[in-house]
Amino acid sequence: MRPHRSQLHRWLASGCVVAVTAGLAACSSSGGTTIGKTSLPPKPNLVVETSFVLKTLDPARMFEPTGLMIDHLLYDTLLTYKGSDVTTPVPDLATSYTASADAKTYTFTLRQGVKFANGDPVTAADVVFSLMRTKNINGNPSFLMAGITATSPGPGTVVLTSATPDTAIPAILTNPALGIVDAKKVQAAGGSDAANAATADKAESALNTTSEGSGPYTLTSYSTTTQVVLAVNPRYWGPLLHYTKIVIRNVGASVQKLDVLKGESQIAVDLSPTQAQGMTGVQIVNGASPNLFFLLTNDNPKISKITSNPQFQTAVRDGIDYAGLVQLAGKGAVQPAGIIPSMFLGSLPAGSGATFDPTKAKAALAASGAGHPTLKLVYPSDIQVNGISFGDLAARVQQDLQAIGITVQLQGQSIQVALNSYRGGQEEMGLWYWGPDFPDPSDYLNFLPGALVGLRAGWVKGADPALEKMGATAAGTTQNAARGVIYQQIQRSMNSSSPFMPLVQPAQILVGAQSLKNLQSNALWLVDLSELG
Amino acid sequence: MSSASVGGRHRDLRRFLLQRLGSGLVLCIGITLVAFVLTHLVPGDPAAANLGQRAIGDPAAVAAFRHQYGLDRPLPVQYLVYLKSLLHGNLGISEQSHRPVRTDLAEYIPATIELALFAIVLSLVVGVGFGIVAAVFRDRWPDHLIRVVSLGGVSMPVFWTALVAFYLLFFKLGWLPGGGRLDPAQNAPTHLTGMFTVDAAVHGQWTLFWSALRHLVLPALVLAIYTVGMLTRFTRASMLEIMGNDYVRAARLKGLPERVVILRHVLRPALVSIITVAGVAFGSLLSGTVLVENIFSWPGVGQYAYRSAVNLDLPAIMGVSLFVALVYIVVNLVVDLLYGVIDPRIRLS
Repeated sequence: MRPHRSQLHRWLASGCVVAVTAGLAACSSSGGTTIGKTSLPPKPNLVVETSFVLKTLDPARMFEPTGLMIDHLLYDTLLTYKGSDVTTPVPDLATSYTASADAKTYTFTLRQGVKFANGDPVTAADVVFSLMRTKNINGNPSFLMAGITATSPGPGTVVLTSATPDTAIPAILTNPALGIVDAKKVQAAGGSDAANAATADKAESALNTTSEGSGPYTLTSYSTTTQVVLAVNPRYWGPLLHYTKIVIRNVGASVQKLDVLKGESQIAVDLSPTQAQGMTGVQIVNGASPNLFFLLTNDNPKISKITSNPQFQTAVRDGIDYAGLVQLAGKGAVQPAGIIPSMFLGSLPAGSGATFDPTKAKAALAASGAGHPTLKLVYPSDIQVNGISFGDLAARVQQDLQAIGITVQLQGQSIQVALNSYRGGQEEMGLWYWGPDFPDPSDYLNFLPGALVGLRAGWVKGADPALEKMGATAAGTTQNAARGVIYQQIQRSMNSSSPFMPLVQPAQILVGAQSLKNLQSNALWLVDLSELG
Repeated sequence: MSSASVGGRHRDLRRFLLQRLGSGLVLCIGITLVAFVLTHLVPGDPAAANLGQRAIGDPAAVAAFRHQYGLDRPLPVQYLVYLKSLLHGNLGISEQSHRPVRTDLAEYIPATIELALFAIVLSLVVGVGFGIVAAVFRDRWPDHLIRVVSLGGVSMPVFWTALVAFYLLFFKLGWLPGGGRLDPAQNAPTHLTGMFTVDAAVHGQWTLFWSALRHLVLPALVLAIYTVGMLTRFTRASMLEIMGNDYVRAARLKGLPERVVILRHVLRPALVSIITVAGVAFGSLLSGTVLVENIFSWPGVGQYAYRSAVNLDLPAIMGVSLFVALVYIVVNLVVDLLYGVIDPRIRLS
C-alpha cells in the first residue's frame, strides 16, 4: 500500500523547509562575518604557517626545523646571523670574541646589562650552564658541543676550549640549540648541566611551558600539533620589534597556500616551487636551500665490485643530466658545484661542478669493465625535502643512467627502513640529502673517507690519503680566506674522484603578505620573524 | 510487573555488563600485545627515527635515548614493564612529543570526540531523514535523487571532498573558516572537557563558542558526507524491508495516520540495523579521521596516530591502539544496550 501522500507530504515538506531555512541561516550568518576580514588578528599580530617538525622547545634537546625557528626567537645565542647571510657570524649576547692561533680556545666578551624576560641578569654562569647542559644531556644537538668545554674565568667572559682544532665554533654557537637559558630558573625546574645530565635533567617540561631566555619573544602557549604562540619580551635589549604577538600554526603546505592568499596568515613557509608558481598579490622569496641532494655509489667492494670501481663512479658522475634535475626541482633550485652548498664559505663557483657528458660517461663505463650493469638505488620514498620527492629525482637519475648503459632498479623504502641500510653503509647506490648541522664548511668534512657520511658510502679511512690530508688541514685552518681555498680544493678533488655526486640544491621558498618588510629566508632557522617590519 | 522480575532483569543486566567488561579487558590486553609485537616487527629503529643524523652516530646519545625509553631492556621485559605501568594508568612517555602519552591523549581525544560527535549527529539527522524520504517515495524522483546523492557520498574519497570543500567554502566563498579549532588570535576557552564548543558554552564565552562552532562545521561536514550516504542507504533498505510486512499493512488498514505508521511501525524496528551502522560509523569517525584532521589542521587523535606511526613512537602507538580498542568496545556496548531499548525481544534474549 502506498503511504497517505497528503499527510506525508505535509510533514516531509515541513521538515525540508526547516532544514533548508536552517542551512541558509547558517550560511548567511557565516557569510556575514568573512573570515579573512574579521578573524585575522589586528596588527601588530603575525600569523605564520608551517608543517610542524617539532618535538620540544627545550634548547638542549631541540634540533628540528620548526624548533630552530621558534627557539631563535626565544633564546639569544653568543653569536648569530643577520638576514639570509650565513657566512659571517655577528655579535648577539657576545659583543666580541678572540680565537687562539691553534683554533682550540675561543674567548667571548658578554654584552652588559642584558636581562632575561623574567628580569634576571644574563651572566657568564648562565652561558656556561646552558652550553654544558646541551652537551651533557646527550640529546639531538649535543654533538654541537662534542669535545668542547665552556668555562668562565670571570664576570662577563666565557671561554670555550676544544680538544682538537675547531674552526667551526663561531658558526656552531649561532645554533638556537645553544641558546642561553636562565640557569637559576632551569635548575629550579630540575635542570642540570652535570656530566649525568642525560638522566638528571628534568627541566624539559618546564621549558615547554615557560621559556627562560632573553630573546625577543617569550613563550605563551605550546603544542606540537596545533600552534605555538609567542609574545614580545618587554625586556628585550635589541632593536624594537614590529609584532607584539606571533602565532605559528601547524598547517599542511596546500592549505598554507590558500591561507596566505586569503589573508588568514602572513607567511607560508613550506610551499614547493610548483605551489608557489603563479601566485599573485603576495611576495615570494625564492632562493636556493642549503639542503643538498646527492647520489652515492658504494666504495666498498664487498657491497659492490661495480659501484666501487672509480671508472664506474666517473661514468655515473658524467652521465647525469644536472640541468634536467635543476629544472625538475623548480625555480630557485641550483646545481651545487661541489658538496658544499652555494651559500657557504668554501663553495665552488656556480658552473664549475660536474657536467653532463654522455660520451665521456659511456667511455668511462666501458673502461670500468662492468659491461651494462644492473644496480639497486635505495631512497626514502615517503618524505619530501623542500617539496621535492626523492622518487621523482630517482626516476630521473634512472632515466639518465639508462641512456649510458646502466640499469638502475629503484628501491623506494620507508625512511625508517632506508635509514638503516644507509647508515649501515649497505647500499649499492643511494639517493639522500644532507642538511647543514651548522653553516660552516667544516660540517662537510663528514663526507671525507672514514668520516660519518663517507663511511655510509663505504669510503673508509685511507681510501684517499691526499684528500684526507687536505681535510685535516682544513679543520685546523682559522683564516677564512685560507679556509675557502682549501675547501674548494677538497671539492675539486671529490668532483674528479669520489663516491659522491652532488645533484641539486632545491629551492627554499617563503611566501609572505605584501605588507611584510624585510622578509628573508635563512639557512639555519628558515626565517627570522623578529627582523620583520 | 513484579519486583522479582525487575530484580532478575537487573541481575541479567549486571551479568551482561560484567561479561562485556571482562571481554573488553582481555581484548585491550590483546591489543597491547599485538601492537607491541607488530611495532617491533617493523624493520626500523625508534632511535634512528627520533635522533638526528649526527646524534645517531654518537653512541652516548643513542644509549641515553634507549635508556630513557626503556629500549635497552629485553623485549618481554619491555612489554611487562608497559603492562605494569598501564595498571597504574601510566601509558609511557611519547618519543615524539617528550610528554606522557596520557597527557597527549587527554589533549587530542576531546578534539576528535567533538568533531566525531558533531559529524555523527549531522549524519544521523540527515542520513536517516533522507533514508525515510527515499523509502516512502520508493522509485520516484525524490528516491532517485537521494540515491544518487548517497551513492556520491559513499563513493567520493574523503581527502578529495575535504580539499574541494575547503577550497569552495573557505577560499572562494569565505563562508566558513579554514583550519584549526579557533581563529589564530584566540586562546582556548577555560578547560573543562577539552571540547571547545562545550567549554566555551559552559563558561559563557560566546565569542569563542561561535568561533569554535564555525571551525567545526567544515571538517564535520566533510566527515558526514560519507556517513550520510551510508546511513541513507541502510535506512532506506531496512525500511523497505519492513514496509512489506503484514503488520504494516494492518496498521494502515486500521486507519492509523501515515506519520504514525512510518515512525512507529516501520522506522522503530528499522532502527536496530540503523544503530548498528551508526555505531560502526561513529567508531570509525573517532579512530580514523587522519586525512580530514590533517587537511583542516585539526589537532586530534588521527594526527597524533599518524605522527606516532611515522616516528615509530611505540608508547604513543600503544596508547592510540588502546584508545581505538576502547572506542569500539564502548560503542558496541552502547549499541547492544540500545538494541534492548528499541526491541524488548532482544532485551529478553
